[in-house]
Order: sequence, then C-alpha cells, then structure tokens
Amino acid sequence: MRRRHFLSALLASASLPALSWADAGNPAFLAAAREENGGYALFGLDNGGADLFRIPLPGRGHAAAAHPTAPEAVAFARRPGTFALVIDCVSGGVLHRLDAPEGRHFYGHGAFLEGGNLLVTTENDIDSGQGVLGLWARDAGYRRIGEIASGGIGPHELLRLPGDVIAVANGGILTHPDRGRDKLNLDTMRPNLSYVTVANGIEEVVELDAELHHASIRHLAYADGQVGFAMQWQGDLPDPAPLLGLHRKGGHPVLCSADLAEQMAMDGYAGSIAMAGGRVAITSPRGGRVHLFDTAGEFLQAVPRRDVCGVASAGAGFVVTDGLGGVLALDEGLSPLVSAPRAWDNHLVRLGG
Amino acid sequence: MRLPLLFTVLAAPAFAGVPEVVSDHIQPGFAQFAQATQALAEAAGADCTAIEAPYQSAFDAWMGVSHLAFGPLEQGGRNLAVSFWPDTRGMVPKTVAKLIADEDAAALDPAAFAEVSVAGRGLYALETVLQEPYAQGSYTCTYAAAVADDLARVAREVQADWQAYGALLLDAGAEGNATYLSEKEAATAIYTALMTGLEFTSDTRIGRPLGTFDRPRPKRAEAWRSGRSLRNVTLSLQALRDLARALAGGEIPVTEAAFADALSVAADLDDPIFAGVADPMGRLRVEILQQRVDLVRDAVAGEIGTPLGLAAGFNSADGD
Repeated sequence: MRRRHFLSALLASASLPALSWADAGNPAFLAAAREENGGYALFGLDNGGADLFRIPLPGRGHAAAAHPTAPEAVAFARRPGTFALVIDCVSGGVLHRLDAPEGRHFYGHGAFLEGGNLLVTTENDIDSGQGVLGLWARDAGYRRIGEIASGGIGPHELLRLPGDVIAVANGGILTHPDRGRDKLNLDTMRPNLSYVTVANGIEEVVELDAELHHASIRHLAYADGQVGFAMQWQGDLPDPAPLLGLHRKGGHPVLCSADLAEQMAMDGYAGSIAMAGGRVAITSPRGGRVHLFDTAGEFLQAVPRRDVCGVASAGAGFVVTDGLGGVLALDEGLSPLVSAPRAWDNHLVRLGG
Repeated sequence: MRLPLLFTVLAAPAFAGVPEVVSDHIQPGFAQFAQATQALAEAAGADCTAIEAPYQSAFDAWMGVSHLAFGPLEQGGRNLAVSFWPDTRGMVPKTVAKLIADEDAAALDPAAFAEVSVAGRGLYALETVLQEPYAQGSYTCTYAAAVADDLARVAREVQADWQAYGALLLDAGAEGNATYLSEKEAATAIYTALMTGLEFTSDTRIGRPLGTFDRPRPKRAEAWRSGRSLRNVTLSLQALRDLARALAGGEIPVTEAAFADALSVAADLDDPIFAGVADPMGRLRVEILQQRVDLVRDAVAGEIGTPLGLAAGFNSADGD
C-alpha cells in the first residue's frame, strides 16, 4: 500500500477529523469519460467545467454517486457490472470495493441516504429477475446490510427525495448476465416509477397506460415536489413517442412531447434528465439535441448538440456534456465552457444539489 | 473558462477535407436541390397535373443531400418536411387524405401551408397525390401545387442557411464559434453524416423491405409507389462516395473499390422496388446488395475514420 493510500485509509477509518469536498477542490460535477488513449477515468469539474481531479477507472464507468459531505464518490461499472468502487476524491485512492452479493449485479446507479451513512444501489436479483435495492452501511466500511424490493424489473436510476424517500426508475427490461445486455421480455415489459422507503418498503407505484409499456423509465430528476422521469422506447416507435413524464407523489403522471417533427428527431431516446429554474431538460445523443420543457410539461425549446448526453442543474440553468469532449452551459442557448480531449460518458452528476 | 491552447494545437492539420466537403459537396448539392424543387414548383404553377417528371428530378436531387441531416436541415423539422420516411404508422396517407377531404384552406396560403403537419408536406405527400389522376381546377391540384411550392421554399431556405452554417464548419475551434468547439468536431459531424448515411441505406432503405426471412416486407421499401426504391439506393451511394472523396482528401482505394462493387451489384439487380424480397432467390440478391453496402461502411471506417481519429458518436452509439 502506498503511503498516501495508507494515510487516506487511516483517515477514512477515523471518525474525526473528517475531510470535506473542499479538500477535493469543491467540485461542482462528477463525470466519467473515455480518454484519448482508450482508457477510462472519473473527473471532478468546477463550475466552469475545468478539471479539478482525474481518477483512473478500470473500465467504462456509468454513473457516480457522490457522498453529501465527505469527498467520496461511488463509481459504478456499466451494467451488468458486479463491482463498484468507493473513491477518495482527495487522494484518488480506492477506499472500498463493493462486490455485488452472489446472485446480484449492479445496474449502474446509486444514492446516499441518512445523511450519507447509507448507500443504496439498484440491482438485479438474477434468478427471479426482480429488481432490488442493495443497502450498504458506510460507517461499517460499506458492509452490505440488506436489501429491499425496488418495485419492478430492471431498476436503473434512483434518487433520494426529501425525507429519505427513494424514487426508483424501474426500467421494466429483464436481462440476464449470461445474455449480456440482451432484452428478454420486450413483449411483456411493464416499467414503473416507484417510491420506496427503507422503513416501509414500496409506498407508491406509478405505471403508464398499457400502450406505453415499451417506454422504459430510466432516469430521474427532482425539483419542488415534482419528479421528472426520462424514457427510452424499445422496438418500433409509435411516433410520436413521449420521452418525458412529470409526477407528484400521489398524483397522475403528466406526459410531455414536443411537436411531431421535434419529437421524432429525438429518436425515441432520452439519455439523461435534469430540472432547474422551472425548466426540465432531457438529452438525446441519438437525436443530437436537448429538449427543454416547463414544469407544467409544455415544450419550450430544442437545442441541437451532437452526441450530447450528460446534463445537470447549474443555478437556474444547466450544464451539458457530450461525446466530443464538450462541456457547455445551457441557458437560452449553449455557451461552450471547455472542450476536453475525451468522450464524456452518459451522465453528469451534480454535487451538493 | 476558455479552452487551454494545449488542446487546439493537436487538431490543426488533420482535417483538411472539411473545406472541400463544404464547397464541393454540400453547397452544390443543396443548390441542385433548390433548383430542382424550383423547377417542380414552376411546373406545378403552369400545370399542376403534369408534375411527374419534375417530381422525380426533385427526388433525385434530394438523394444528393438527404444524408446531410445536421445543421440547417435539422432545424424546424425541415428534414421531415421534405421527406417523411420511414412512415411507420402511415401518417402521410392519412394526413393527405384528410387535407383533401376537408379542402383545407391552408393550401391557398403559403404561410399557412408552412404550418401544416410535416406529414402533409414534402416528397411523400406529393407521391401520395400522384397515385390517382386529378383534374385541373380540383382541390387536389391546388394542394399538389402548394406542396411543390412549399418544398421549393424549404430547399431555398436550407440552401441560404448553409452559407452561414458552412462558415461555422470552416472556422471550427475559433473564439465565438459555439457550434463547433474544435476542428475535430467539424470533421466528426461530416464523418458521422457519411457513416449514418451508409447505415441508413443498409438498415433502412434495404433492411426495411427485407424484413425477416419468414416475413419479408416489400411494401416497406422507400418510395416504392413512385418506383424509386433501388434508384434511391444507387443515388445515395453515389452521393456518399462523393462525400467520402471530399472528406478523405487523398487516395482511398479500398473505399473506391467497395463503392464500385456495391454500385455494380445495384446496377445488375433489376428489381426497382425490391418486390423480389418475397421469394428466396430475389431476397438473396437484395441481401447481397445490403452486404456490399456494409462492406463500404467497413472500408470507410478503416480508410477514413481510423486515420483521422474519427468515430461516429460515443453516447449515441451505446447508451444506457
């Protein structure tokens, strides 16, 4: 063990004094990327999109979960990955390696609850095909302490809401690691948005109408009591296919579409979602555009940008990232912040928001 | 914070083909499309029952630019306003039938017609109209002329917008260019158009009518009602070869051979609307054409993409 790793391990095991995100340079965002040499890394970015730190990853990353106060990020491999790394964003060292228990694999997203003491991960119970949420105790060295039902098949992103309610995007698509990323139940898939608490389990399950059962609910955002969910259509598109839904707990979902031509240009695919300043942004790398809606679901604007996928809130606006290395501010239009020599992967994770 | 100089220096000399693509491929292509649709609109103005030949010429010209779907063509739904295909739910015939049944007044006013659903405009709306004879003075005749006028307007606007948009490709990476942050981005946009065009010809133009062995779908061929399915494959391959030559800016013998081979298979096919996919021998011949187009993709990737360090999309190719 190198000295700094040893030191950081010591620090992590001590209850005081704790490091904070300030020690990692106060990053505003985390994002995974493929670098020019073909390798992969996790980056911390400041508000202007400039690199604050770079931590090599052993393979292609998907999303990262940031601890609310300590400078720790959990980097997930792409599904169907069986491990995740808890990374010390000050030293760059790996603090812990999370191995999915026997019979489980990760889906690529996670979130912290209980002030950062509990990590929750989306997982597949491989034998039953049912989605589960894995529970990991940070203060016990990220020990696996249990799991609860996710409320559906193929849970992808999950989000902590106020009161430690977990919103889960159960994408509905059954996969099996023996078959890689093959989709095994397209005829019968039935995605949903579930609200779950660790104490009480599933509190509410929101399903769309049967004719929308091919709309895989995959990614989530939250603002002012409203969850935004972004969808990815499977199979032939019944154009125009809605890709955005808005939901308030206890209410009915509102589905949102642009005009016919703009909606078709999204190619049935929304890769990420964020909400800020009374607007909702969804990205389509396939369509090469961002769609902006208001929080009542009215379409506002399309913003073209090739291979765009990552999006996060930034004040009253957004920041987007793309496969060409661009980090751009999105307010009325796009303003380039940085052009980095790497391909930003699917998600841009906002810290402290 | 602005991009550090470090990253821009690396990109400079590698993408010499971009100016050639703009001046020798994109601008002449859209000029030809504007000219052909203007001729169609003028023919329809003179006699809206005699537009079959200029319609075919306008469609030919569209095949010279249909792969250039980025920039002006992707704004305001113009791409679909020209070519609403594939039309998976039969929206074009439904929309056209309703406009004609209602004798919708939008056909009398170009500004109002520009707001009609994209499924009721463009080449496929005209193709639908041309299936049945109609008389001078009929609403259908007025509608056909309105579609032709609208097409010419869209083509004119796209051609005009390419003047400014072409400049963005040429000064990629310059301060203030918010569209192309580096020269590599500009080259990637063009390379993506080339690869996506080849993919569309293989997977959609040829793949849709092929369907599956048990269920061939000849009526899903592109523009089969106007007898153009194979012609569109040939013209698209010729346009994409033109683009590949301009982008490469040097000898590309493997790519040239692959294009020549695919075009020769297309020339020998003698199945203008891919009706042959319904019988095993005919199907095999169309499958061979598809395979030859896929070989062109491999050749372009190896001979143009790899040397220039270009790839068509990271997130768009493999999301989650």
